[in-house]
Amino acid sequence: MMDDLLADFVAETREMLEASGGEIVAWEADPTDRTRLDTIFRFVHTVKGNCGFFDFPRLEKLSHAAEDALAECRAERREPDSTLVSAVLAIIDRISEMTDAIGAGEEFPEGGDDALINALQPKETIDIVGELASAKTDHLTAEISDDPSTPKTARTSVQRSIRLSTELLDEVMKGVSDMVLARNDLARRLREAGDQPGIDGPFDRLSAILTDVRASITRMRMQRLEHLFTTFPRLVRDLSTELGKQVMVDFEGGEVELDREMVEMVRDPLTHIIRNAIDHGLEGPGERLKTGKREIGLLKFAARQAGNQITIVITDDGRGIDTDRLAAKAVAAGIYSQSEVDEMSERRRHYLIFEPGLSTAEQVSSVSGRGVGMDVVRANIERVGGSIAVSSKPDEGTSFFLRLPLTLSIIAALTVSSGGQRYAIPRSYIEEIVFGSSDHVDFADAGDRRLVTFRGKRVPCLSLGHILGTEANDEVDWKNTTLVLIRLATDDVFALAVDRVYDHEDVVVKPIAPAIMETGLYAGTTLLDDGRPMMLLDLPNIAQTHRLVNEMRSTARVAEQNQVEQRKTLPVMLFLGLDGRRRAVRLELVRRIDTVSRDALDIEGARAQAVIDGSIFTLVGHEFGALPEEKCRLLRLSDAECEIAYIVREVLDAANINGEIVPSNDEPLIEGTTLIDNGLVPVIDGHALFAVHRPTDRGCQPLSCRLPTDSEWVRTILEPLVEAAGYRISTDESEETDVAIRLAENAAEVFGPARRVIHLRPEPEVGENDLGSIYRYDRDALLAALKQARTGTRA
Amino acid sequence: MSELLLMCIIGGHRAAIPAIRVQSVIEIEEITPIPGVPSFILGLTALRSQALTVIDCSAALGFESCGDITERRAAVVDVEGHLYALLVDEAYDVGEARSEPVDVPGGFGPGWQAAARGMVETDGGPAVLIDVEVLVKGRVAQAA
Repeated sequence: MMDDLLADFVAETREMLEASGGEIVAWEADPTDRTRLDTIFRFVHTVKGNCGFFDFPRLEKLSHAAEDALAECRAERREPDSTLVSAVLAIIDRISEMTDAIGAGEEFPEGGDDALINALQPKETIDIVGELASAKTDHLTAEISDDPSTPKTARTSVQRSIRLSTELLDEVMKGVSDMVLARNDLARRLREAGDQPGIDGPFDRLSAILTDVRASITRMRMQRLEHLFTTFPRLVRDLSTELGKQVMVDFEGGEVELDREMVEMVRDPLTHIIRNAIDHGLEGPGERLKTGKREIGLLKFAARQAGNQITIVITDDGRGIDTDRLAAKAVAAGIYSQSEVDEMSERRRHYLIFEPGLSTAEQVSSVSGRGVGMDVVRANIERVGGSIAVSSKPDEGTSFFLRLPLTLSIIAALTVSSGGQRYAIPRSYIEEIVFGSSDHVDFADAGDRRLVTFRGKRVPCLSLGHILGTEANDEVDWKNTTLVLIRLATDDVFALAVDRVYDHEDVVVKPIAPAIMETGLYAGTTLLDDGRPMMLLDLPNIAQTHRLVNEMRSTARVAEQNQVEQRKTLPVMLFLGLDGRRRAVRLELVRRIDTVSRDALDIEGARAQAVIDGSIFTLVGHEFGALPEEKCRLLRLSDAECEIAYIVREVLDAANINGEIVPSNDEPLIEGTTLIDNGLVPVIDGHALFAVHRPTDRGCQPLSCRLPTDSEWVRTILEPLVEAAGYRISTDESEETDVAIRLAENAAEVFGPARRVIHLRPEPEVGENDLGSIYRYDRDALLAALKQARTGTRA
Repeated sequence: MSELLLMCIIGGHRAAIPAIRVQSVIEIEEITPIPGVPSFILGLTALRSQALTVIDCSAALGFESCGDITERRAAVVDVEGHLYALLVDEAYDVGEARSEPVDVPGGFGPGWQAAARGMVETDGGPAVLIDVEVLVKGRVAQAA
């Protein structure tokens, strides 16, 4: 802040020096000239006043001495003579030198001041004064060159600054804007006329110069945030005194520059946040001490520039947002129901502060008033293309995050068209542009919401025609649109479908009439290069109106759920159905993959069954296409009780679903669609599948089988085989199993009850003790026996 | 007082716009429509690299829009820093008001009432003095 004021001081002093330069010369010629005397008196008087403010004792002393001497003359107690004139001029020169040093941020060499001041005294002899007057310049020059810390070159490269009226600046800005329009018009005409080497070159140069000039002008319009920040300490002091609180203010990033207009636009919102923070956020000293905090509350402002965005964070270390009370008020005000509020995450509840009409203050105070407030703040911030976010922790404090575009009036824009008319979109919002006909773009519907899948992301899609009300969503020929992916400052992404994308262009945005503003669709207007007006779309507002912004009510809940789902990755198995279409099934449903011959399938009317390893399974998936001629791949899906065989053409791979599964109502056995490797994949609805195909008989209720418990071979070799044959291995000693398998070598083992027993022998040759037994590696015989046991049991 | 007035016809009736508010009278060649705005806003038109909001005065007063805009004239006014082109049925010369604006017993009828500052006598007969601020906000049209 000091820097800016100093710069102002230096500029003002130089201005006066320049203006009075002529006066000084004239006064020197005629020391009795009263008007000149007055002018010079005013100059030293002003300098004296300013110095006192800045604590420049030497400057003050010099100007004070000169002022005194001149005051004597004005009071006609002293006759101005050439001696006095010389002395005053010497002082003015010295002031000028010192001012330059201040402007350059240097120390002015010590000494010499007293001699100059003494020279003003009328009693001094002409000799001394004369010496001083003539020695003055040399003396100073010597000082300067003697002192290496103040190189003369640095002094001469002092940054000069002048003050301009903002009106003039705006006028210049407008002029440049119009030049840009004229340039654009000319550029178009030149393009139409074809190549003209003699003109194109100079035109390009002109164009480049204009771009530079405009950049400079834009910088001229920039103002340091300090200008805004300087006004806050006073506000904070007044408010805290009024409310009996103690508040310390801390600023960071005051050097960040913002468009002058933008500074004005955020002044009120910031003021309001400060009021809120002091009134509601920060506790009184007593309460703070009780909670172990410092008596003095801290209010911190931090500004940062990132690209063409400015972030301003306002943090207090107060009690934080009381979300319970906020929620209760939201319910009381009928904005939300209790259950809605209960479902909200803490973060979501913080955003209740932006709901209209909610004030957390117990009492309405004169400072924050009746919660007029954060909703208006938010609206104002968004009106200038910014956004506001909040985070808060109980007893630790609250932070508001403001994100603002750098400038209001010139923006890089993309021209798009809808319904034959062109519109501008700020380029800062645009993430990517894709054609709807592109291969890696998929459209899908979720309810009435149109979705587009692109680069592994599923984002809501709006057609510009629909937004503007010129075209209904279902009339849109999506494949022929161009999609502009919009990323808002809130990081919400959506796709805007437009008829066509034209140029990137820098446009000069002008405000629009309130009645047009009320539509909430437009942020401003600009002129096309042919001079026709074009509207600039207000994307943040449009996104809000269409509930595409995270913090907005109702969509927020969906967003929260999505986030939960996104964290949970879902393993699935990908396969090609008989129709060649890719599908996915939750991996946990897949028990195993079997290959059977075509003969193992039996389809008759509505009944479709498959025999796998001697077990009969309900067959699904055959309705999608012709059966393979020989081998059929089957996915055995299990719901833990019952198994279904799902016939597929090919098993592809296992994969993880990271995104959400978008519900689909069209296909009954499809849970929804999701995105895997940038492709849309329908996910089999396991629940519905088993609900439909669960056999009513006990057909797929697995038979039980008892196995010897003390054999390693049984565990590793036999058990999987028996299980694969569709048996459940019984571990219950008392259960009467359907089948028991006994090993010949431990025939003596005590065994639980079983309806049928299969004996296995260790040797291929049939011994006399094990007639009717099966060689343990005679797989076919074993399976046949198991199958026989099954059919026998059933029969 | 003899206020200077731009005499015109709005919705088939004689009306007057304070001449001091009128920057110029233009003929509108091309209008860029703005989807989504109330119907009394016809769109934007460009005048010397400035965009003017074109107001259909008839519609703004709640009457039928007069439709065809070609060859129609509009008065350019500045309201709170925004330029508007007030499209009228017909625009005549500037004339002097022969009376103060006065109320008429029974009012001017719906539409007119809200946007009228009163009735003034002019050389061509009585005319309704239009309140430009109210007109451009379209309050009448929206209420109707």
